[in-house]
Amino acid sequence: MRALIVDDERLARKELIKLLEDHPSIEVVGEAMNADEANEMVNELNPDLLFLDIQMPGKTGFQLLEELDAVPLVVFTTAYDEFALKAFEVNALDYLLKPIQPERLSETIAKLSEKERAKIAAVRGPEKKLGLNDQVFVKDGDRCWFVSLSNVRMFESDGNYIKVYFDNNRPMIHKSLNALDEKLDERAFFRASRKHIVNLSWVEGIEPWFNGGLMVKLRGGDKVEVSRRQAAKFKDMMSL
Amino acid sequence: MFGLLQIVSSTLASNTISPRRVIFLLYEASLCLIATHFFRFFLIKAKWFNLSLPKLIPGVIVSSCVMGVTVYFSRMPASLLLGLFDTAVAFDVRHILGLTSFYMLIFFWWSVLYFTYYYFERYNRSLKYETSVIEIELSNLKSQLNPHFIFNALNSIRALVDENPAKSKQAINQLSNILRSSLASDKKDLTSFNEELKTVKDYLGLESIRFEERLKTEFDIDPASQHFLVPPLMIQTLVENGIKHGISKLTAGGIIQVKTNVEKDRLKIHIRNSGHIVNGSRRSKNGLGLKNTAQRLKLIYSGAASFRIVNENDNFVLTEIIIPQTHNL
Repeated sequence: MRALIVDDERLARKELIKLLEDHPSIEVVGEAMNADEANEMVNELNPDLLFLDIQMPGKTGFQLLEELDAVPLVVFTTAYDEFALKAFEVNALDYLLKPIQPERLSETIAKLSEKERAKIAAVRGPEKKLGLNDQVFVKDGDRCWFVSLSNVRMFESDGNYIKVYFDNNRPMIHKSLNALDEKLDERAFFRASRKHIVNLSWVEGIEPWFNGGLMVKLRGGDKVEVSRRQAAKFKDMMSL
Repeated sequence: MFGLLQIVSSTLASNTISPRRVIFLLYEASLCLIATHFFRFFLIKAKWFNLSLPKLIPGVIVSSCVMGVTVYFSRMPASLLLGLFDTAVAFDVRHILGLTSFYMLIFFWWSVLYFTYYYFERYNRSLKYETSVIEIELSNLKSQLNPHFIFNALNSIRALVDENPAKSKQAINQLSNILRSSLASDKKDLTSFNEELKTVKDYLGLESIRFEERLKTEFDIDPASQHFLVPPLMIQTLVENGIKHGISKLTAGGIIQVKTNVEKDRLKIHIRNSGHIVNGSRRSKNGLGLKNTAQRLKLIYSGAASFRIVNENDNFVLTEIIIPQTHNL
């Protein structure tokens, strides 16, 4: 696995690299000192894994993740941060406490290898578009999630935000629906109207609607109207 | 207590003592006991203890009258049974008035004693409560080492063991000094300035390992400062505050400057750090830390010390404490 280390302290990065020497499955491809540097390196190097410190000058680790489109696997590293630890425990995110214990690191890497195998088995989306196997990071107040796009039923625009529908949660992300639409794999996600993008694998039923539009029913009960303009396109896609 | 008093006084009042007389006196005593007992119950129930004196005194006088009359007439059945009853004496107005006012007086004095005792106890309790509140408050306000700092320092030291063994040894000493003064600070309210300065230097030494070229430190200490006593870990906390909210937020890092100066028996401590206080971002944890410092100074020096934190200019935050000379520990 190709890993990027993000930490503002040189010695902390050095220590982690040293510890990772015992794990040949992890290849450290880069080191970033802050969130902006990390953002560039993620886009450039496309790592499979981030070791991410939370408190850094400028932006925090959480802010970095919110800015990224597709989020690689993430292991948080922190010395002691009550608030972050609470978030980790609630959401079962993987984290390492500094100074990092070698045994704990081995456990984490074992867990990661499992996840990675599952990911490789799935087919990767073409030309860096976000497919069903990619995950995004969503933060809403104190709660945060890594959500696999296959679990997202739909996106709904709400002012400058997008509501992400998955499980029983609808957290908001600060993005425009148009920008998101461009990044999503069009074979998996469909722009139903100005307000909605739906996950095609969640579509359960389709009914004709007013003005030549369609009403799409999703598993779980949500209903989304497809505008007339998009309806023809939708029919094309859903028919063989 | 009251019953005994009653018996003794009654015994003294009447010279002749017969067994019947004693039984009657015992009965009388228990009557008074019951009366005061109910009165006490009533006092608590009606919350008379919270009344002001002008309201309380008439209340007590009236109740004493009522109890006096009640006791006088409750005596009669017993004296009838015991054969001590004398109609002429019992219904003689002068006799009634005399004995009733005797009882009234007793009840009145009982009330005075009881209220005095009660207020004294209450005052005592409130004093004890107050001192314990101040003690608890002070110990809560005492600065404690930030765990985030300790674990980050340990992490840096771990990396340093390979890179620079000599420096890592020094770092371990610095960290143990800090831990020691943190443990000692739990036991005392004040420490010598030099002691605190050493802690601050050790602290900055460790943070320099972590921040490397991003942290620069400057000291400008007035030699007269060493005669002063300061609250332990207070300067350290403020320096840490400057690093946490100033330098660690700046990608390029910055400077921490500690300067002291003694003027007219007062120690002025200036801590400058790169950064800027944005109004409103000083809420939550940090705001609490600063409030604690201010509160702690107020409790220790009862208003003679001062504390402020301001933007000195666009690039520097100034934290200032002024502490008076303390002559005894």
